[in-house]
Amino acid sequence: MGVSETLVIDYGMGNIWSVVSALRFLGATPEVCSDPGRVMRARRLVLPGVGSFRRAMESLQSSGMDEAIRHAVLKEGSALLGICLGMQLLGSVGTEDGETKGLGLIDKRVDPFTSAELSGRKIPHIGFNQVVPAPGSRLFQGFPEEPDFYFVHSYRMPADIPGARVSRCNHGVDFAAAVERENVFGVQFHPEKSQTNGLALLKNFLAV
Amino acid sequence: MLRKRLIFTLLYDNGQFMLSRNFRLQRVGDILWLEKNYNFSKIAFAIDELIVLDVSRGEKDFEAFCESLKRLTEGCFVPIAAGGGIRSVRQARELLRSGADKTVVNTPLFQDADLVSALASEFGQQCVVASVDVQMASGGDYRCFHSNGGQGLEGSALQNLSVVERLPFGELYLNSMNRDGTGQGYDISTLGLLSAGFSRPVILAGGAGNARHLAEGLADSRVDAVATAHLFNFVGDGLQSARKQLLDEGVNLASWAEVENASA
Amino acid sequence: MSKNQEPPVFWCSNCLNMSTRPRITFDDRGWCNACQWMEKKTTLDWGARQEELKEILDKYRSRTGGFDCIVPVSGGKDGSYVSYQLKHEHGMHPLAVTVTPALALDLGNKNLRNYIDSGYNHIQINPDARVMQILNRQGFIEKGFPYYGWLIAIQAGVVRLAVNLNIPLLFYGEDGEVEYGGSTESQNRAMYDINYMKRIYLEGGHEKVLRSSGLSDSELYFFLFPSEAELAGRQLHITHWSYFESWDPYRNYLVAKEHCGLQEAEANNTGTFTNFSQNDQALYALHTYMMYLKFGFGRATQDAGIEIRRGAMKRDQAINLVRLYDGHYPEEFIETYLDYYQMTPGEFDAVLDKWVNRDLFAKSGGRWAPLFSAR
Repeated sequence: MGVSETLVIDYGMGNIWSVVSALRFLGATPEVCSDPGRVMRARRLVLPGVGSFRRAMESLQSSGMDEAIRHAVLKEGSALLGICLGMQLLGSVGTEDGETKGLGLIDKRVDPFTSAELSGRKIPHIGFNQVVPAPGSRLFQGFPEEPDFYFVHSYRMPADIPGARVSRCNHGVDFAAAVERENVFGVQFHPEKSQTNGLALLKNFLAV
Repeated sequence: MLRKRLIFTLLYDNGQFMLSRNFRLQRVGDILWLEKNYNFSKIAFAIDELIVLDVSRGEKDFEAFCESLKRLTEGCFVPIAAGGGIRSVRQARELLRSGADKTVVNTPLFQDADLVSALASEFGQQCVVASVDVQMASGGDYRCFHSNGGQGLEGSALQNLSVVERLPFGELYLNSMNRDGTGQGYDISTLGLLSAGFSRPVILAGGAGNARHLAEGLADSRVDAVATAHLFNFVGDGLQSARKQLLDEGVNLASWAEVENASA
Repeated sequence: MSKNQEPPVFWCSNCLNMSTRPRITFDDRGWCNACQWMEKKTTLDWGARQEELKEILDKYRSRTGGFDCIVPVSGGKDGSYVSYQLKHEHGMHPLAVTVTPALALDLGNKNLRNYIDSGYNHIQINPDARVMQILNRQGFIEKGFPYYGWLIAIQAGVVRLAVNLNIPLLFYGEDGEVEYGGSTESQNRAMYDINYMKRIYLEGGHEKVLRSSGLSDSELYFFLFPSEAELAGRQLHITHWSYFESWDPYRNYLVAKEHCGLQEAEANNTGTFTNFSQNDQALYALHTYMMYLKFGFGRATQDAGIEIRRGAMKRDQAINLVRLYDGHYPEEFIETYLDYYQMTPGEFDAVLDKWVNRDLFAKSGGRWAPLFSAR
């Protein structure tokens, strides 16, 4: 088997079907994969996920998928897109269900929104919200100012990440709606649930 | 700014999609009818979310429901919630595998709180939508109902909801049985049944007949989303034009590029 | 082929009532008189009309327990609502009366039973079914009214019963002309007379149909209005409930299902999107289909107008529904009709061909297809 074009990593967390379906809609031929050996050599990886940070990391670790992803990104230069929980897993530490080490591809902690930050806003942060794309963002290339994307989450990665392009969203406080550093990409929102805006963003990822 | 949401709810009954008026069902058409008259691939671009509920009254054919859900949600790039008769984590997982992103529960809120907790811990609270049906009696007091509106609960809706509010779920779908399917507009006063500190998103349902009603619901600060299940009033381009009207009036809804621009 | 221009018709700019509707008028905004009436209803002094009602009811309310008013019912939403109001809100002693239609439907029979069981005194008039068939057939052919015999009997037969039982008040539901578009002459008049019935509801000429039937007066008993001599010295006041209280068919439906056991059909009725009205007889679908062929609007247009005027939908939403549902050929009943009228398909089609408006329809594949589209 040669180099796989686009792999969607299946580690038992959340609805991967809709990510696959969106990629297919765009003409890609994504494969669902739970084999670390193949992930290691993939050209392009998508890490979806919904649920608890701790359980997700445990699941990645138990199959050796965490190391496979790190290898692909750091050694092979694979492009990686983390979606929702998948973006949070890129961080250094998550605090859902107790403190858990993340993949460490982005040097940032993931914490819950605090009530001071929210000042009365509801949690989970559910629905479409406006994103301010980072200057020079590759994911948001060709987008209008402040496009809407669909979010559903209670934890967030703060917006100040040195060395990365951070596209921001505000829910009482600015947080990272999307992060890009070299070949590592993460989006807190669900592009596969964000209508044409999400499809256009995925199309940009398929072009990097 | 966080946008408010316009949600379309489909009521499914043994292969047919239904109009409900005060919880009495009228058969409208099957999935072919829906695809034809709602041009489903297009309508998905006029709504923020889709909810699909199995409301069949007798024995439910769960597998057939999952099959319909798969077919409905293909090419539908919005969040999808599904429910109606979920009685186990396994069933919830089946729905999530059939295209749903969230599960909707009603009867278990009152009869099987453990299941609600199990769903929340298995899939996360954001994956559980609590659906509550309330009915106003002649005296003006509200009562909660479950089992497709078939079973009324002892006590006031206020009391019952205060118990429900303690359960782990992500959103509340609050439906007026009196207004259900009537096209008379939402019963805004049902929002008064929620405790002052309730801080999770609220979807208001029951009664919308036209864009004006949707706007009235969205104008209330306690409302995060409005839902309509009116298969007749929004047939054809009804949802598209309602959304356009709301956006033109400056209602805080998301906007996105036309469908053509996105395809590869 | 010869017609590539749309016929010169127009639609009310608020609802979808058509310019072809008999007796309809429009104002300078293009609103039909049903919609103008809806507007008027919001500012009308209903209190004064309620007083008027109260006076009438107080005057005639029975103190002996005898019947003081008659309400024609079918088990459907409107008669159920009116009798419920009279009995439970106004302390009257109504006698509910049903004139059995031809080709009664199971759901209608069930609803009538449920209605009676919910607590009403009720009389069912069963006019000679053979006579009804002759008159219905004749009405279908000569006037394009598929249940003309029944239409006569629900006026004449009920009036006759009121006179015979010496019951002074007769409450019909709504004044269709005022509520749905048509003549406005009775808008500000509580009572009406037999001549209005004959002229408006039977569209004149009902005597001609009766006479040409060759049936005897005895056979026609329930189809003949009482004579002047029979009416002399009798108190009989005929009125519409819609004069006294703002008429809302949807409210009636809600009350009837809550209090009178009304059940809806499982799916939409032929030619419309609703399932909760006119479920009592198979000929109703043909009645509205004939209306469609004559004038270009059917049951869905009427239902959509009601929805618009009660604020449940807007005109553009209604257009989608009318395009989808209006004017459906009552396929599932055709065999029943042929059997009832004792007609061959050719004879039946000839009646449709006789009544169709050829400015509005052209035949295509054996069926009449519209040359217009609601807009």
